[in-house]
Amino acid sequence: MRHIIYRVSALMLALGMISQLTFAQTAGTFKLPDYEKFTLENGLTVYLMQQSEVPTISFAAIIPAGAIQDGEKSGLSFLTATALQFGTENYTKSDIEEALDFIGANINSSSTKEYAQVSARFATKDMDTVLPILKDVITAPVFEEEEVEKERKRMISNLERDRESPRSVIGSYWDRFIFANHPYGNPSRGTVTSVESFNTSDLKEFYSNYYQPGSSAIALVGDFSVADMKSKIEEMFSEWENEGDQITEGFGEPELALESSKVMLVNKGDARETTFLIGGKGVKRDNQDYVAIQVVNTVLGGRFTSWLNDELRVNTGLTYGANSRFTPMKHAGTFAISTFTATENTEETIDRALQVYERMHTEGIDEETLTSAKNYVKGQFPPNYETSRQLATLLTQMFWYGFDENYINTFQANVEELDTQKAQQIIAEYFPKENLQLLLIGKAEDIRTIAEKYGETVEKEITSDGF
Amino acid sequence: MKKLLSILCVCLSVPVFGQMKADDVQTFTLDNGMKFLVIEDGSIPNANMYLFYKVGSRNEHPGITGLSHFFEHMMFNGAEKYGPKEFDRVMEYNGGANNAYTTQDVTVYTNWFPSSSMEVIFDLEADRIGSLSIDSAMVESERGVVLSERSTGLENSPWRVLGEAVNSTAFLEHPYNWSVIGYESDIKNWKKEDLEEYFNTYYDPSNCVVVVSGDVQYDEVKRLAQEYMEPIPSTRQPKPVHLVEPPQTGERRITVQKEVSSPYMLIGYHTPEAQHEDYYALDILSSILSRGNTSRLYSALVDEKQLATSVFTNMGESFDPNLFQIYAVSASGVEELDLEKAIFEEIEKIKSEGIREDELQKTKNQKLMDFYGQIETINGKSNNIGTYELFFGDFRKMFDAPQEYEKVTQEDIKRVANEYFKKSNRTVGVLKANVED
Repeated sequence: MRHIIYRVSALMLALGMISQLTFAQTAGTFKLPDYEKFTLENGLTVYLMQQSEVPTISFAAIIPAGAIQDGEKSGLSFLTATALQFGTENYTKSDIEEALDFIGANINSSSTKEYAQVSARFATKDMDTVLPILKDVITAPVFEEEEVEKERKRMISNLERDRESPRSVIGSYWDRFIFANHPYGNPSRGTVTSVESFNTSDLKEFYSNYYQPGSSAIALVGDFSVADMKSKIEEMFSEWENEGDQITEGFGEPELALESSKVMLVNKGDARETTFLIGGKGVKRDNQDYVAIQVVNTVLGGRFTSWLNDELRVNTGLTYGANSRFTPMKHAGTFAISTFTATENTEETIDRALQVYERMHTEGIDEETLTSAKNYVKGQFPPNYETSRQLATLLTQMFWYGFDENYINTFQANVEELDTQKAQQIIAEYFPKENLQLLLIGKAEDIRTIAEKYGETVEKEITSDGF
Repeated sequence: MKKLLSILCVCLSVPVFGQMKADDVQTFTLDNGMKFLVIEDGSIPNANMYLFYKVGSRNEHPGITGLSHFFEHMMFNGAEKYGPKEFDRVMEYNGGANNAYTTQDVTVYTNWFPSSSMEVIFDLEADRIGSLSIDSAMVESERGVVLSERSTGLENSPWRVLGEAVNSTAFLEHPYNWSVIGYESDIKNWKKEDLEEYFNTYYDPSNCVVVVSGDVQYDEVKRLAQEYMEPIPSTRQPKPVHLVEPPQTGERRITVQKEVSSPYMLIGYHTPEAQHEDYYALDILSSILSRGNTSRLYSALVDEKQLATSVFTNMGESFDPNLFQIYAVSASGVEELDLEKAIFEEIEKIKSEGIREDELQKTKNQKLMDFYGQIETINGKSNNIGTYELFFGDFRKMFDAPQEYEKVTQEDIKRVANEYFKKSNRTVGVLKANVED
């Protein structure tokens, strides 16, 4: 493959790089398709949108039950979300699997750092088979012990296996490094020791604490009549009851102790290359300049001709790909430059990455490059909202991050109004300049002295539990 | 996103897109042999262009292994009108993005852009197809990029390591023997002349099928194709790949070492090419074995016996006979031989007892859902239509596929299982940390 498609964070996809009709400077109002939003008596927020290109329906649910709620039981949110499908009050695990597999439908449940999510895709003709199952999976799971135990073992095997691939674990090391002991430092899928420590009753308790209709939302997008679907959903999901008090997150924006440049060096004894991140504090999703930040990041490391990729790949052949990204969340965010290179090229690659980054701070962005980035961001936007699944996800993200179609409808104007002067302000304000943090995964004995050049270094073993 | 844009499309009508049919694909062939397939779909104001060249690692030989893939990279590194870096710069300035991939059989270039930029895309593509310029400095820096791509694949994926070992064991004469990325020593060795020779041999317009989908008009695509692509002369036809893999006459086994927490297993059976009549039955058999938690291998190995943490199978489409692959990752503490035995038990069950009617029906239902997924996006349309055109000989086969799957019977599944899943026809690969015991 020519290059790894730039990983656009889920957020960037969700909050809408809205394009106008063409990349050219045509004025026009871009609107999301009509959708209906309503709230049930139990507080559950529901979004419905009709889309009829193919006779299928996509479902998405978002529940405030992610790893930030794990406390000491790292991985509990993830196992709870996975186990939603292991039987309900009305269906056994095999009832669910047989019914769905037979009609080519699927339900996925998982959790991320901040929230749990359930998604499904099925044919319109099968909605009366799938919707009752979905409702039960979300509102009446039983967490059957034997199945939970089997999943726990699989989860542990997967955690062990992740350590064979730097790319699979670098994000968890990074969040622990940046957020330290704040809940945003919790790994989304836990650690081996932790996952071994909790039991089925912990899952049930976690479920009853955090899976509450009053703080959750569901979205359906696809080939259906909104009026008919509305009455079905009202009937089914009104039965879901809030249990006790709504638990709020109980913490705010983390205070980051990034007063000096630090290095975390993770030793992987058989590594042939060094995989690394350089960065620090990012932004929250509700940042008023978020669109402008994305356009500026496109120039630095968000596309093939970005300055980082141009220098580290095209000019020097040091790597297959280099990028930079913001990962914005509800209460916190990170920024990181990301790449990898053969062990012997580690120092040169880090230095060149830092030079490119520093040059952005000192020289800003020229007019032509900025215009190109704006065109690119607008031109690449519409395919992010092409399928029912993408739209259902967008609607639940609107709920989670508290924005609506107005954000999307003004997106184009926000991209347009960015000029080189504003870009310079964005760089100064949001792209951390001092006290950069470096995370390196590689062969420690070969790169230890290089690592120490960039700051106080702590060393870890990739095979050790935890991050 | 089907309707929201209609208010913006003041100059373009937005077709109400019902379920797509074969007749919705319009085709023409230029005088130089380059064939175009066009799908008008105004659901978003974007379009794409997928260029499928019939060249992949099967066209290589030892000494130039990996050259098809390397060439894929070099196609971005400068031509007569647009010099080094210009292809990407011009495309991105015009709101477009691109990528490319190389397989054993084909090299595919993908462009995604606002439909108003289509002419720029034609100009860029015509320039590099008609007059690529191979710059020695670019060859050197791209060599580093590809070595990094090779290395990062091996670093991060045990399947890459194991897959290469199994292919090199299962194929002794046919070029599916080596990996698409090629040998490290070949990557470090090829010369500018090798690249020029390759370009002249395989990048003939007649060796390319182009698919354009999106908010475009057929007449406009044809006009631009005639203006930009037709002047590129067809100068030669690549010679066919003559190598044929002789029948395998006994089980082959291969072990490779990597620091992993539990063994990985890959079993390959020689099976026919995509155009063979058994393709659809084998593809259904693959679904029955591993798709979903009710599939044979998942329910037996992962759920019931807990010998594996994951299992999947693949019956890919290919020009020449290739491998039906079974992948499994053993659970902690499980001996790989126990896992292997359990896989064979499930296969033997199908060989002796066949499959149930509801399993067959389940797979057919799943295939229909897959079809809907394939035509839901303009990129899905281009990729799938191009794939059927190349691998099955006609894009219409994509629309016939649901009926082809419908035709497959329980007896067909049992027959193909017995015909291909023989001990003598398989290669078993294991990747594990401790290979000395």
